[in-house]
Amino acid sequence: ADKPTEIDHHLYEFGSVEYHTQASLSEPNNTYLSISTPLLSQGVLLSHGLPRHATEMFEGIPPDVLEIVEPAREGYQLTLRLDLARIPRKKDAVKMITQISSVQAAILSFQLKEILRNISNEDLSLGMYKPLKLVYHPRETFFVVKQPTKFTAVFPMRFKENTDVSIATAFFQELMDVGSSTALAKVPPCHWSPIPPPELRGELIEDLSTNGGFVSFEISSRHVEGKKLDKTVWGLLNFYSLVKYHVKCTRGFIQRRIRKRLQNLVEVIKSKLLNLKAALQKAGIEEDDRIEKVQEGTNQIHSKSILFYPKTLDLFHNCHFLLSEAGYRRMRKLISLSRSKLLKGRRSLTNKIKRIGSRIKIHAFNRFRRRWLTFPRFSSSYTKLD
Amino acid sequence: MIQWSCNGINLLIISQANTLRLYLTCIRNTLEAAMCLQNFPCQEVERHNKPEVELKYVTSPELLLNPVLICRNEAEKCLIETSINSLRISLKVKQADELENILTKKFLRFLSMRAEAFEVLRRKPVQGYDISFLITNYHCEEMQKHKLIDFIVQFMEDIDKEISELKLSVNTRGRLVATEFLKQFI
Repeated sequence: ADKPTEIDHHLYEFGSVEYHTQASLSEPNNTYLSISTPLLSQGVLLSHGLPRHATEMFEGIPPDVLEIVEPAREGYQLTLRLDLARIPRKKDAVKMITQISSVQAAILSFQLKEILRNISNEDLSLGMYKPLKLVYHPRETFFVVKQPTKFTAVFPMRFKENTDVSIATAFFQELMDVGSSTALAKVPPCHWSPIPPPELRGELIEDLSTNGGFVSFEISSRHVEGKKLDKTVWGLLNFYSLVKYHVKCTRGFIQRRIRKRLQNLVEVIKSKLLNLKAALQKAGIEEDDRIEKVQEGTNQIHSKSILFYPKTLDLFHNCHFLLSEAGYRRMRKLISLSRSKLLKGRRSLTNKIKRIGSRIKIHAFNRFRRRWLTFPRFSSSYTKLD
Repeated sequence: MIQWSCNGINLLIISQANTLRLYLTCIRNTLEAAMCLQNFPCQEVERHNKPEVELKYVTSPELLLNPVLICRNEAEKCLIETSINSLRISLKVKQADELENILTKKFLRFLSMRAEAFEVLRRKPVQGYDISFLITNYHCEEMQKHKLIDFIVQFMEDIDKEISELKLSVNTRGRLVATEFLKQFI
């Protein structure tokens, strides 16, 4: 900002990490960044303190841009003084900012490296390799077991749902297969078992109760020499995150695939199952017209429609049967009836109805009816009564 | 090898050597024989018309035919229950391991929840089965019978194929992720 302002922000990140950013008007060019991250293991103290290792983290950054404040602010493990105005504006800026922002990851990595280097000789001489419990996240603990020629990192896996357990188990099987293949012979051997490995005997039951089994990696000296140490340590620290992310992505993939399959199946049932209405329309028959004509009882004959004037009332009940597929052939026969035959049928029916309507004939009743049984006619206009 | 039982349910046990094709042909032939449905109003309640096969308490046993159970093996079977105006087909899909079990359950539940899109699908499968169809006389009037049977048989084939492909895809994804993860240790 062009105008110096007071800044005091607390930021929280996954893994109980806290950042505190401070800038005051008295020092407009300096910004203080304090970092608090939970230690991996409470039982092992860092031998030389964090700031010594912190200087190694920021190799390549000029001291006028970044300086480590000793001692760190209260409640924080590391405090850095940054001069943001001196950060170069070109490509180096991105690299420098990335290095500064990954300080938390670097702190954790150094903690694990320190732990791996400083396993006491006393433990080794007794022949007991006590597993070291490391807590990267409150619910994600893992163990590191020192052995004569290697380290074994054991990850107890816990999942919330059975679906996650199945997907993760399939992933662990593939991890074992890939690790034992000849193409990747140099990678740390990986094992998965549903029961705790023998190295963890004696640990608390709550640490050993899982539903996803135990994944273990055997890290030998060739995996931690030189620059490989950083990658190995970072891979181990983020194994839980990798598994969770893989399970989440696989669930999303399954959901997308199922949805796509559903759309295909629905298209099949709509397009391939040709309904009878469409079949009738193909044959030039309009079902709705037919029903209307029967109901209204009109004398018009549509050339495109089938005229169902049944000779008897019983035939009307068969109309519904004719709609079914079994009666489709019978309907086609009826279509072929000639116009004259249809008219004959209609005429005979109307004659029958007339005969039924006037069964009882009284002589001179018509004259009586016309005179006495007609409704009086009222004129449309009326005179207003005063 | 075919055996007939005498407890009212015709049980066809197909030997393990026969393929899926024989199983599906048997189902197709049974459906062609069973799918002779007609409209039949409810005899108990006036002006009601219900699929007789769905009635929980059978008051008119004369309207129901003997159910047919066709088993391919212990894990795969098909139950066809017929009545005068409706037909219910229940399928049990093979599930070799836990992952297939999960995938089948998810897939068929997804379809069942959207049963209205299929018209002939039942929202809840019959107990002991993974998915159920309910075909009534109205469906037979609106749709062509042989195409309806083709759809059901094709559906069974597609389900098996889809579950297998899903499992393969999940394993392939896992393998790729595992390879990339382990490469960083080299």
